[in-house]
Amino acid sequence: MNEPVRIQEADFSQDEEIRALKASSKRIGGIGTFLGCARDFSEGREVSEISFDAYGPMALSELKKLRSDAIEKFGLLDARIVHRLGTVKGGDNIVFIAAGAEHRDTALEGCRWMIDALKERVPIWKKEITPQGDSWVTPHP
Amino acid sequence: MIRVLFFGPVADRVQAREMQFEYTPGMTLHDVTAKVGMQHPGALSIVSFIAVNQNQVHDKQISLHDNDEIAFMAKFSGG
Repeated sequence: MNEPVRIQEADFSQDEEIRALKASSKRIGGIGTFLGCARDFSEGREVSEISFDAYGPMALSELKKLRSDAIEKFGLLDARIVHRLGTVKGGDNIVFIAAGAEHRDTALEGCRWMIDALKERVPIWKKEITPQGDSWVTPHP
Repeated sequence: MIRVLFFGPVADRVQAREMQFEYTPGMTLHDVTAKVGMQHPGALSIVSFIAVNQNQVHDKQISLHDNDEIAFMAKFSGG
């Protein structure tokens, strides 16, 4: 739980992540967060479940680099990233990103940059399981 | 030995998550790519990224070393 970057099957608590982020510095004046969750409908089809595959060691290493890059690029005071693997159902949490900074602009920009970079840089793949069959998700811009 | 890993949609097309090739001195990434392509021609068409020892590479002429780990990966879709 104390590791700021994690890949795990278990669900996570946004409150606990934010508490850990706030505990890292009392200079934090704003926290930008992103919560990605599973949709039960996509591309005109009902989605029963979403399963994830990942190149685990590279994904974790890339997420750690991504966090460090964001801290440096935006001057964040701290940041946390948690991504789930395994299988999730509609409404379940998938990914949580939090960026802490002195001011809101930096926190929000840093958070947005991290989720965009995660989608481009981190070797994780998402498969939608539907009554009509399974299909790997094509990346969204 | 060269270990080749497949994930997600590429693993589905190869119908395996791992292959191994005997290492020979002077072997390049291009050589391994060609071997995989010969066995699974449909799989490489969706490969957008290749990593050697968890680092993304763009030059297929790079020399490999014994025990290198290569991953052939489709576009990422996490998050």
